[in-house]
Amino acid sequence: MNKLVVGLILALCVLHHDFWWWDTAEPVMFGFMPIGLAWHTGISVAAAFSWWLAVKYCWPERLTEGDS
Amino acid sequence: MTFGIMVGYIALLLFVGVFATRLLKKSSGDYFLASRGIGPFMLLMSIFGTTMTAFALVGSTGRAFEKGIGVYGLMASWSGIIHSACFFLIGARVWELGKKHGYVTQLSFFRDRYRSDLLPLLLFPVIVGFVIIYILMGVVGSGNVIEALTPETFAEADVKTEVVLLAPPQGLQIKDPWKDRLSYDDATRTLSLAGSIHPKRRGELFGMVAKPPAPEWKKGVGQLIDRAPRGAVPYAAGMALICLVVLIYVFLGGMRATAWANTFQTLVFMVMGIVAFVVIKDKLGGAEAATEKLLASDAAERATRGGGQIHQLQFLTYCFIPLSVGMFPHLFQHWLTAKRASNFKLTVVAHPLCIAITWVPCILLGMWAAAELPGSVNPNAVLGIMVAKHSTELLSGLIGAGILAAIMSSMDSQFLCLGSLFTNDIVVRYGRHLGLGEVTDRAKIVLGRIFVFLAVTVTLLIGLSRPGGVFPMGVWCFTGFASLFPVVFAAIYWKRANKWGAMASVVTVGALWLWFLDDALTGEFLIAGMMPVTILLGASSVAMVVGSLVTPPPPQDLQDKFFPKKTS
Repeated sequence: MNKLVVGLILALCVLHHDFWWWDTAEPVMFGFMPIGLAWHTGISVAAAFSWWLAVKYCWPERLTEGDS
Repeated sequence: MTFGIMVGYIALLLFVGVFATRLLKKSSGDYFLASRGIGPFMLLMSIFGTTMTAFALVGSTGRAFEKGIGVYGLMASWSGIIHSACFFLIGARVWELGKKHGYVTQLSFFRDRYRSDLLPLLLFPVIVGFVIIYILMGVVGSGNVIEALTPETFAEADVKTEVVLLAPPQGLQIKDPWKDRLSYDDATRTLSLAGSIHPKRRGELFGMVAKPPAPEWKKGVGQLIDRAPRGAVPYAAGMALICLVVLIYVFLGGMRATAWANTFQTLVFMVMGIVAFVVIKDKLGGAEAATEKLLASDAAERATRGGGQIHQLQFLTYCFIPLSVGMFPHLFQHWLTAKRASNFKLTVVAHPLCIAITWVPCILLGMWAAAELPGSVNPNAVLGIMVAKHSTELLSGLIGAGILAAIMSSMDSQFLCLGSLFTNDIVVRYGRHLGLGEVTDRAKIVLGRIFVFLAVTVTLLIGLSRPGGVFPMGVWCFTGFASLFPVVFAAIYWKRANKWGAMASVVTVGALWLWFLDDALTGEFLIAGMMPVTILLGASSVAMVVGSLVTPPPPQDLQDKFFPKKTS
């Protein structure tokens, strides 16, 4: 699982550099959001999901022991 | 009315701060770290509020107006990924070490981990200098915001402003309530105004002559508004008021009051950003209509990143700037306040979402404003102008309160952190050598307050000169913090890292930071198209690695203390 989460975070870093949308506003998502902005809002949501996976499955055991 | 709402908000904030002081246990541990008892929600709000400054509302709108939607990817979505990585990889681990070894500040951790008295002495002026620049951004911002949002707070009825018109106005009819203040003398073609005036009254004055108003009348009204007093709360008074309010609740309640006030303020600025967005969006005829108008205008490029608004290499290398949170001493102190390590989980997950909730509406407003306002408008005034143009004074006041909330929620942690660093890392550590003897808990708190008061006074004095280039200075300050990241990362994850490597890293950052300072303050400073942090961080990392490898490794007991062998 650790490798999957690290892979997801790295993939987000790569996908962050969306040069393919660089010069266009089309398609306009939901009728008002230029694609570049919609893409990066999606990156933020995907980041939250990836970090959720990280804290659920990759949280260091010693920290859990420290809590108890 | 606007200023009245801001004052009401400040009073409410002080109530929250004073309420929190009732929970204060009278020890330095509670004053500086809230007895390490902060829960998950308050930790999230404190950390998010601390990382977001006035830039989250005012700057994001202004930069989107100027540079388009790419500002979100540059500053917000990178932060969503990198900040959470820092909280996960650095924050939770630092908390664990802090709890085990009793650290109160970042420097006490470095002293112990690198077993060096020289390193904290080297870092102290660097860190304090960066924090003071960071505070200066907030102080100057608060003075500007209060001044910009409070025209006509003072009538200034005894001040008379006169303008000679180029041509007599056609069909001039001075209406109520202007009759007592505005007059026109036919013989000298002089238009006179008694007292202060809000720039948004321009339309009312235009409407007093036959339609359409002649260019001479428009020019005369423009001159009158430019020359007449605005009657706003003075810049210096606004700065001093905000510093005083933050000092009061930080002095009274320390970290506990700061955490409560941060939680309250973070909720306020998040909600106010959304409220401003909804109201302005409706006034623009809905989100779809506003975007259509932009795409049909000369400013359509703002809906893309093309046209050289943002360069690709700049966009890519901006990812290093959010590493600064790993070295913010005030955030370090917030991490130590958590009751348990698992309290970090909510912060790690929700931080990117909180950023999106705050930034997306502001970026859209800034982008839409590009089709509404002339390009010559000061970017930092865009949010205020859009609010004033499309909403009521009540909303202006509430938005103003939201902006102040964003400013103060960073400033309070910075004030407290300065006091902690001075007291715990300088006075307690070296007081004995200066004959001060054992420093009591009470004395620690008092000394911390005195140092904070002096640092804030110096910051206010610098702020009085209205330093230009506060935004470039802010980015440069973040560059400095981010470039020190190898010092904290190696401390936690590289057993071989030693004090020589850490000191080489700090000296390298300090030297390069000063070397490029002049260029950095000129505005958007790039090196070969990259953010300069790329060079500074690279050099700092090399210094850390080489400095550690060419000198003896840390003693074995030190390595065992921070990197215990895993037992099966």
